[in-house]
Amino acid sequence: MLIARNVMESWIPHREPFVMIDNLLLATKEVFESDFFIKSDNMLAQNGFFQETGLIENIAQTCAAAFSYLDAEKHENPRMGFIGAISRLRVYELPAVNSGIVTVVNPLHQLENIYLVKGENWQDGRKLLSCEMKIVVSQ
Amino acid sequence: MYINDVKMNWEEVIEETRDFLSEEFEIDRNLILPENNLKDTLDLDSLDYVDLVVLIEENLNIKITGEDFKEIVTFGDFFKLVRKKLAL
Repeated sequence: MLIARNVMESWIPHREPFVMIDNLLLATKEVFESDFFIKSDNMLAQNGFFQETGLIENIAQTCAAAFSYLDAEKHENPRMGFIGAISRLRVYELPAVNSGIVTVVNPLHQLENIYLVKGENWQDGRKLLSCEMKIVVSQ
Repeated sequence: MYINDVKMNWEEVIEETRDFLSEEFEIDRNLILPENNLKDTLDLDSLDYVDLVVLIEENLNIKITGEDFKEIVTFGDFFKLVRKKLAL
């Protein structure tokens, strides 16, 4: 584990109750991976299920944590990132509350301070959601 | 030269480029002329440039950087850059 839940707020700008990632498990140039347990009182859950918005936010926060981690590896200050656009969104299944998900992100392209990534949420080998996201990182 | 295993001359590269740009950005391919402004014609915002980079890489197998775009104003500039990158 690269960043654990109890110190996540030192690595990303999000604060409770809007932290949608538990642990950053992997961060390389090619792939980021995180996990998240969805509690029943999660603000992006409705009718017992974590909503698409939550899954997308989880992908974005996985990127935020991984970018911060990679910046720290290079002894650079972490930069702030923003979702610029979301495309190719596919929703397959919404996870129930009181269950865990794993998220995998692949950075595809970078043009200056804009990153194009592909994100996927998974649960027990089933894909929940996939999308491409453009993330604008402050310079 | 070969692009994605297809042998093409320079004129065919230009026609192929006009095809994929007009399809992706939903514009009339006849507007893709050397004298026309690339950003205005394709109606690009800063995020769209990433899509353009991906398209060029997928269709022409060349990498365009942010630095490259600083030299590009018209489609003519763009085609010159493509030709240079393809070493034609």
